[in-house]
Amino acid sequence: MEEAASQLERDHVHSVYERIAPFFNDSRYKAWPRVKQFLLEQEPGSIVADVGCGNGKYMHINGSIFKLGCDVCRPLVDSAWSQGHEVQLCDGLRLPYRDSCFDAVLSIAVIHHMSTKERRIRALKEMARTLRVGGRIMIYVWAMEQKRRKFEKQDIFVPWNPNPPLSPREPGRRRRQDNGTQSVSNRQDFSDKHRNVKSTSSMVDEEDPGSPGQQRKQKLWFFSRSLDSVLDFSSLSVSRSSSRELSAFCSPIGETRGEMEAGDGTPLSRGRGLIRQVSSFFCSSTSRTSLEEDVFVSDPQDQAQKVNSNNTRNGNETVAVALVQDCSSVPLPDLVSCQREQTDSVGLEEVDSGELGQNAQERQESPVHLQQNEGRSTEKLKESCLRYYHVFREGELTQLIEEHVEELHVLHTCLDHANWCVVAEKVQVWRV
Amino acid sequence: MIQNSGRSGCLNTEGEVHATEVKVNEVEFNPQFVSRMIPKLEWSALIQAAEGVGHRQDLPDTLVSNYENDEDFLHKVHRVLLEVEVIEGSLQCPESGREFPISKGVPNMLLNEDES
Repeated sequence: MEEAASQLERDHVHSVYERIAPFFNDSRYKAWPRVKQFLLEQEPGSIVADVGCGNGKYMHINGSIFKLGCDVCRPLVDSAWSQGHEVQLCDGLRLPYRDSCFDAVLSIAVIHHMSTKERRIRALKEMARTLRVGGRIMIYVWAMEQKRRKFEKQDIFVPWNPNPPLSPREPGRRRRQDNGTQSVSNRQDFSDKHRNVKSTSSMVDEEDPGSPGQQRKQKLWFFSRSLDSVLDFSSLSVSRSSSRELSAFCSPIGETRGEMEAGDGTPLSRGRGLIRQVSSFFCSSTSRTSLEEDVFVSDPQDQAQKVNSNNTRNGNETVAVALVQDCSSVPLPDLVSCQREQTDSVGLEEVDSGELGQNAQERQESPVHLQQNEGRSTEKLKESCLRYYHVFREGELTQLIEEHVEELHVLHTCLDHANWCVVAEKVQVWRV
Repeated sequence: MIQNSGRSGCLNTEGEVHATEVKVNEVEFNPQFVSRMIPKLEWSALIQAAEGVGHRQDLPDTLVSNYENDEDFLHKVHRVLLEVEVIEGSLQCPESGREFPISKGVPNMLLNEDES
């Protein structure tokens, strides 16, 4: 399990960040105001660690404290270093720091990339270890529940698109104005101090749903069963209840031929590889059948037909990995933005696929699929990288800390722009 | 340079710093800041690291009292802590002997899968 977990993270966190690192320096990834506030509140002379610092976007805040950053991603760390910050490469599960040496620790959008509960706990414990008693940690993770949508599952793969179309209305600029002064001043900090910030944002498509070109933009959410769920039976029952809904996306293996006329190109080949990979993590002899039937995608026109035929078949199956398409009307949680009050139509457009057939005939169909879909895929989609996230339910992070990290005491929790923000304090634990 | 002076090392122990390339940056001197940092440091580790990079600057083996007002002293600490930077070199774990490379200013503390 440990190896599978670490492999998943290598493939769908670390290597993705390495590829997308060059795009992180643009305006889309602003500093969260609450994090800035947390840093500004630290006593002068404090030593603060940013664990998972990325390109160091928080490290310029508050000149009276000393900040150390670390991350696994070399290009991001190099970028932070080039801004003059003190950084190193390391693993969040094995921090190269002494016990109790930090006055404060940041973990901003980091532990949601850890693929098992056990690893998330270990990461929290490591950070707690390096905190001095009385020191505080601020943790941000993506929330499962958001204002206008809810992720179907907690374990998802999110594509990252490096080449969004530029909106003619320059939503970037408008966004900043909408945000008010806070974000504007953040940007000026950046541009004044360090670099020329261009307003081209690669998240334009997600933040400006009004633009017609972008409404077509496909945002795919891949849902996976948690690596923990091999042992966690409660997640199976959750999946079952939602399987009826999700079964609309599943097509019985033999029926894929008729649905090859899906209108939109999608990274099926990539998706298929992912599916195989993810499935291989979860396979146990009992669950193999259900996993293999799951992932499918079908043509929207045939949806009605399939629901009928699928319900009986897949009623009891859990979905391992599903491709769901979001029409990108709602920004991702990693963006500081004013989220527009627009109706969230999470369009569940289905994409064609046939997968993991157990018999030779189905196998033969797959390569045909592959070729057809490769041709149809847009270049952008081919380039999209998939990042693994475990999104947190309300109270989950707090509960994780309360139950498993006794050296941390949760001070407060809030939902901040689709992220759960938790601040906790290191306490002395006495053992009798 | 602070992280090499006792904060980091081979999984929490003090690491010996070897430097093949060192850079001295100019960083604005803030005496109060330095004073406040000193109590949080492992002084012996700082000295060891300072020696490793050739910037011991006759800092004492043990911390003397009333350093807050000794601006000359603070300046030396400032230099080692904030200005001296190891660009190329390594950190050695005293226990395991394992060396962690420092390259382009960034120490690489990632362990291989087989090392725990």
